[in-house]
Amino acid sequence: MSEDLQKLIDEAVKKALAGDDEAINGIEDRVTRAKAKAALVKAKREQPNASEKSSTSESNEEQPAVENSENVTSKITKMLDYKFSDCLDGELHSDFIQLKPEYWFEIAKFLKEDPDAYFDSLQCNTGFDLGDGMLESRYNLHSMKHLHSIEIRIKVNIDNPDIPSVESIWRVADWFERETYDMFGINFTGHRDLRRILLPEDWDGWPLRKDYEEQETYHGIVVPKVKEGWE
Amino acid sequence: MGFLENRFDDNVVVEKLDKLLSWARSTSPWFFQFGTACCAIEMMAAAASRHDLMRIGIIPRSSPRQADVMIVAGTVTMKMALRVKKLYEQMADPKYVVAMGSCATSGGPYWQHGYHVLKGVDLVIPVDVYVPGCPPRPEALIEGLLKLQEQILEGRPLTRKTG
Repeated sequence: MSEDLQKLIDEAVKKALAGDDEAINGIEDRVTRAKAKAALVKAKREQPNASEKSSTSESNEEQPAVENSENVTSKITKMLDYKFSDCLDGELHSDFIQLKPEYWFEIAKFLKEDPDAYFDSLQCNTGFDLGDGMLESRYNLHSMKHLHSIEIRIKVNIDNPDIPSVESIWRVADWFERETYDMFGINFTGHRDLRRILLPEDWDGWPLRKDYEEQETYHGIVVPKVKEGWE
Repeated sequence: MGFLENRFDDNVVVEKLDKLLSWARSTSPWFFQFGTACCAIEMMAAAASRHDLMRIGIIPRSSPRQADVMIVAGTVTMKMALRVKKLYEQMADPKYVVAMGSCATSGGPYWQHGYHVLKGVDLVIPVDVYVPGCPPRPEALIEGLLKLQEQILEGRPLTRKTG
């Protein structure tokens, strides 16, 4: 191999190690390019310390990010308390935010649009019968930008189960809220198409409530009630 | 077979039209594939090459109007029960029903707490053969279909039922 070629390869490997892959791919002669690639692999193997250093520094950077995500609930709680006075319901919690239903629509809009919160993804909406005549709707929010997530809980009375709908903010809430309505009878005010989603439309009652009783007949079909020896 | 017996060549069979009809029906009960839950997988396996329902003259049809047998394979919810009834009514006579699996026969695991499940498809449509199991293996389904074939063979479509 001539000295010129060796120089060319050395330079290309140096550039590639610095992050410029085109230096090697740009070599026209196929044999020389292959030699340069082999030299690059060898050079990378000889510098294990450098790569280790970079990986440790990355993990050091990740550490505070995890701590941030643990704090995000209290951070958002403070933000909401500052922006919407009297929106929090009951005492503070470290892993979820308990809100009153009144300002939920404005809060949801704020949580989605605020650059620090930026919860652009509603991941789940769950209904809950707490007993004692209280229903609860829970929202799991996630931010694709900041990669943090929080849980919002809203309690309502079973006699007046009205919660503002967030269907126009997160479009995915359309079917989520319909299912919660279907099972618990929580009335999402402002929802554009609040119908039952799983059960037939003429179904009687809200099946996942604790005080639900099965209907005796459905369209003339008898539901057998003999269930002795099963409990 | 009375006075007609032994009067013809060996190749000629003399039989009642009644019996001929039921024989023809029993050897080609095309089934309406009605998979509502996991039993449908076993039904598909029974119709596929390993168990091959076609060797006993049974083939799946996708329309109720072309089918003789309805295999109710799986859980029937209250919402579906009305549709099951409607589809059964769309089938042409003679029609038969096989209830496949625990759910279709009695509600199965949903017997106690399944508020939305029909407790046995026989509350809606008449059932000829029940195949127990959760889900039943293809052999069990084939056994049930063979039983159905026997039942069809015993039937006399032209004889008016009295009493």
